[in-house]
Amino acid sequence: MRVGVEVGGTFTDLVAVEDGRIVLTKVPSTPHSPDIGVMNAVEGAGLALESSRDFVHGSTVATNALLERKGAKVAFITTEGFRDILHLQRHDRLNIYDLRYQRPVPVVERRDCFEVTERVDAAGEVILPLDVEAAAADLVPRLRAGDYQAVGICLLSSYANPDHERALQAALEAALPGAFVTCSSDVSREFREFERASTTTLAAYVQPVIDAYLLRLEEKLSERGFGQRLSVMQSNGGRLPVTGMRRNAISALFSGPAAGVVGATRQASRSGAGNLITFDMGGTSTDVCLVTEGRPGISPDTVLDGLPVRTPVLDIATIGAGGGSLIWIDDGGMLRVGPRSAGAVPGPACYNRGGTLPTITDAHVIRGTIRPEAFLGGTMEILREKSEAAFAPLAERLGMSVPQAANAALRLAAANIVRAIQLISTEKGHDPRDYALVPFGGAGPLMAVEVAEELGLDRVLVPPNAGVLSAYGLIASDFSKIYTITRRTPVDAAASDVVRGLYAQMVAEAEGDFRDYGIAGALSFKFVADMRFVGQAFEIAVDIDREALPGLTREQLVEDFIAAHHRVYLHGASARQAIEIVGFRLEATRPIESLPLLSEKELPDRPARQTAQLHTNEGPRDVLVVSAPSLAPDAPVEGPALIEGYSTTTLVPAGWTAVRDGNDNFIVSRKG
Amino acid sequence: MALDPTDYAVISQALAAAAREMGEKLIRSAFSTILREARDGSAALLDRDGNTIAQAELIPMQLGTIGSVFQACAETYDLDSLTEDDFFIINDPYSGGQHLQDIFFFSPIFHEGQRVGFAASVAHHLDIGGGSPGLSPNARDVHSEGIVIPPTKFSYSRDWNGGILEKFLRANVRTPLQTMGDCDAQIASNRVGARRVGELCSKYGAARVMEVMTEFQNYSERRFRAGIAAAPDGVYHGEDFIDDDGIGSEPVRVRAKVTIAGDRIEVDYEGTDAQVRTLLNAPLAATMSATVSCVKSVLTSPDIPFNAGVSRAISVKVPKGTILNPHYPAPVRARMNICYRAYNATMKALAQAVPDQVIASGFDTTTSGCLSWLGPTGFSVYLEIYGGGYGASSSANGCDAIDMPMANCANTPVEAIDQDYSFFRVERYALEPEAYGHGAHRGGAGFQKAFRILEDNATVALYSDRFRSEPQPLFGGTPGTRGACEIHRNGEIIRLGSKDMRDLQKGDLVVFRLGGGAGYGAPADRALAEIETDIANGMLSEETARRIYPQFAGRGGA
Repeated sequence: MRVGVEVGGTFTDLVAVEDGRIVLTKVPSTPHSPDIGVMNAVEGAGLALESSRDFVHGSTVATNALLERKGAKVAFITTEGFRDILHLQRHDRLNIYDLRYQRPVPVVERRDCFEVTERVDAAGEVILPLDVEAAAADLVPRLRAGDYQAVGICLLSSYANPDHERALQAALEAALPGAFVTCSSDVSREFREFERASTTTLAAYVQPVIDAYLLRLEEKLSERGFGQRLSVMQSNGGRLPVTGMRRNAISALFSGPAAGVVGATRQASRSGAGNLITFDMGGTSTDVCLVTEGRPGISPDTVLDGLPVRTPVLDIATIGAGGGSLIWIDDGGMLRVGPRSAGAVPGPACYNRGGTLPTITDAHVIRGTIRPEAFLGGTMEILREKSEAAFAPLAERLGMSVPQAANAALRLAAANIVRAIQLISTEKGHDPRDYALVPFGGAGPLMAVEVAEELGLDRVLVPPNAGVLSAYGLIASDFSKIYTITRRTPVDAAASDVVRGLYAQMVAEAEGDFRDYGIAGALSFKFVADMRFVGQAFEIAVDIDREALPGLTREQLVEDFIAAHHRVYLHGASARQAIEIVGFRLEATRPIESLPLLSEKELPDRPARQTAQLHTNEGPRDVLVVSAPSLAPDAPVEGPALIEGYSTTTLVPAGWTAVRDGNDNFIVSRKG
Repeated sequence: MALDPTDYAVISQALAAAAREMGEKLIRSAFSTILREARDGSAALLDRDGNTIAQAELIPMQLGTIGSVFQACAETYDLDSLTEDDFFIINDPYSGGQHLQDIFFFSPIFHEGQRVGFAASVAHHLDIGGGSPGLSPNARDVHSEGIVIPPTKFSYSRDWNGGILEKFLRANVRTPLQTMGDCDAQIASNRVGARRVGELCSKYGAARVMEVMTEFQNYSERRFRAGIAAAPDGVYHGEDFIDDDGIGSEPVRVRAKVTIAGDRIEVDYEGTDAQVRTLLNAPLAATMSATVSCVKSVLTSPDIPFNAGVSRAISVKVPKGTILNPHYPAPVRARMNICYRAYNATMKALAQAVPDQVIASGFDTTTSGCLSWLGPTGFSVYLEIYGGGYGASSSANGCDAIDMPMANCANTPVEAIDQDYSFFRVERYALEPEAYGHGAHRGGAGFQKAFRILEDNATVALYSDRFRSEPQPLFGGTPGTRGACEIHRNGEIIRLGSKDMRDLQKGDLVVFRLGGGAGYGAPADRALAEIETDIANGMLSEETARRIYPQFAGRGGA
């Protein structure tokens, strides 16, 4: 049996699969100690862990430690003269007209920042040697006095030569047993000191929290008889055994959204779909990710709580548009959706928990796409009149009827989602029309076809049990690890030899790591060069075909780069200017042996077909309501129709047709 | 409004997103550190007549006047004769531009043969010729500051990519790789904007998109006027000054009279000192930009889109021949600092009307530091813009060490400098403890950046201000702190003027010190916990705390 447990903000989801049998459990999360929720889910599902061969875990523990500022007490050490880099940041403002602007607050206070005398230049040459003993003699008493749980070291140019960082790390670890010491060169081998220092301190900040949590979880699982390997989801969509994760906790920062992308990708692949836009709409936000030929896009960096994180993550765009997002009119008379949310309390007006402001969920209730009697299997009370009352003042100001205002809000929400999708597609040179939309999360399928229409897509693929896709993604994920290295290389006659040499070196490192993790079997690799015109500062990722590596030429590198540059920036079609490679990225993956199956949960008490009313802009009209599990494969449902499953409802508008295929996916496509 | 409100919301947000993408791509495909790291460039979409619709929020100084700079081109050429292959280019301060380093590119956007708008980009170029690399502090006329490009129409296919304009520009700049590469990035940014607007027109129809462009301006105007109307009517006065004109030692004054009447506001600079012989003059476009930015920041919420609608509710009067609107050919390279004083003078006037909405003066000075060296492979020019501390407000301390309100340049990472320059090395980049004014809320702290010179025959040039005078506090706070530039040579400290240029020797340490912002409210009203945090973080000594803050002294001060 394979078990995946995903800890979210509100619920802890468990998916267990064995021989086609699927067990789903949802229990409340226990934020003060998330492992309790995990064990409750295991308990609730009645699993016998002795016979489990795989347990995969994803959690927001690292993210929450940062957002709630409950991480370790961290000391930061850097090169003399640069103690303040975490506080100086990049000298610019994120909001240019805000007179009271405050910059993002680092996780380390100025009093916790220390310096050592040393200097390395951009080529990695030592200009001023580090006297390790003198440095340790100075630092150790101060670090002891400060009672730090973790130390982050980021020395200038350590991306080019990490020797000084390593020497200092060894000395501090020897003198301060029990403290976690993190080197920037182990977290991010890339230039720009503030971003690397920020990443390093964040890693140090969450490391002790993650470590203690995983240790506790391992103990509890083994008390219940689990004897196999525990592995943990990373931000890049691959998993690592818990031993690997303990060394690099920062790679868990974005594991929550990543698991969903992996689940969607895996489930869609069973229906032969490889080019996807995953669309996860929850209560407060929406995450979208572009997946090309079965591979989610990777971004080299991201931002969390205003602080840069330079570590590879799935390239997910997030916007504040979810079921709970508030709908309002600003003081210039413009209709707006989000980013403020009604949250879990008071929640949408229709929940009747004290909320009086209109939300996206209320708009669905008014339109009729959420039917009170079917919401969450009919287990929760929904009051349509509360939604209408919440919308009435807004409709009046817009000079519309209440259903028209609800439809306007939904269209605007769809437009906001479209812009998020454009960020990861058109802005990066990809045409979204080459992709199918894969919605999940509670609210995704309700909105998916409208979003697809706005983008000009012809196909939407709705996975079964779209509400628990993230937990499924855990057990469907591969083992993977991403290696990056900064090595400026001019694209000249010698370049292809350098590329081949570095590839071999990075592959050897990856193979060593996976051996250490005890993961047997052949690895698969994806190799990328980050390239730019000489003089530029931002690189374009250019895939290097491993098959063609032995015969790689300078001309091929130039041609591939120019094409990639032009795709993104609409210029660069000339090869007049010198080109350089700045760094390399190797993604090493050990694919899992067989894909567990995800299927639709039965709803025995639900009529197979009935009729309901949908309030469109043109007035009320009858629609067919189909119970998802009752639908036979290959029997088409013509829109307008609602397909209701256990955790989500799919809206099939007029002009679209839905078919359930042999893999339990609903394929919704444009007619004609 | 006849326009469907949903269409309006959807299309206007898409236009804003397109402008943002233009800015992002301008920066990310750029070649010079001043554009790619400092992000000293901006981008915008204009309607078919050249009124600004939406902007990438980058540099307020450039953004405030993209539309008026465009009008200089519109007055020179018949817009109806434009084709998709044409573009306008301008940097001339005396026909609507800012300073010569800011080159504007405007590209018409067509849909099905109809002109629907313009894409605009502006970038500060590293070198544009002139007397010295990057910065000519001794210029006495605009021609010494670089080549002047009047509003001119060119054809992309004929004049770029080896055509005459490109050849001519390339031959007249010291750093062709960066300057020409950055021009390419500007052209590409405009192309991105044109493509996105074209996609919107294909989807919603050009007529509807153009209708939204008009309504989006009305929207900003409505929100801006609502902000003005909420402020009490009256006539308010403010005054501020720069240290000197770079030759003498007398301050040069700006006087602002602000009149609020209903939902209109007027700012009149009558009484401001005459233009000066040095590069400190501001062309009219820059003065307008500073004034509108100040009023918008004080009276409206930060999320109001800055477009042509904002400018309609405000009128700005600037007497000709003053330092804020000089006669040709006065040099204008360092326009920012007198613009900051116009900003401060207007802010002080507004402080009487809306005391809770303004902030105390920050360091509010652009310090442009330039190190250059003629090495074996050509000129190596390093140019960086330094800010300082922000002024404090009624509710918060000023932000430490950050770029100033009219600009928004990022720093150049030390590791990027290490990669690109061999003739010097950054030795220190640090906050300056106690370099700020005190108050119920303190000003933002200043900082320093120090450079070790590694070769002979290098040069330092700078322009800055507030080396003599301090940023002024509000309502009982204490003033902010001054800036300085020093050369440390063989144990001796050589102090430079705020507009200066010196030859350097190998081994020199060049130190730029940037001042902090002024305080707001009486120090006695500051929360004790904040004082203690500043002390723990090494930003305040106990001795100073006892002297300034009675509540700290009173608790024993241990």
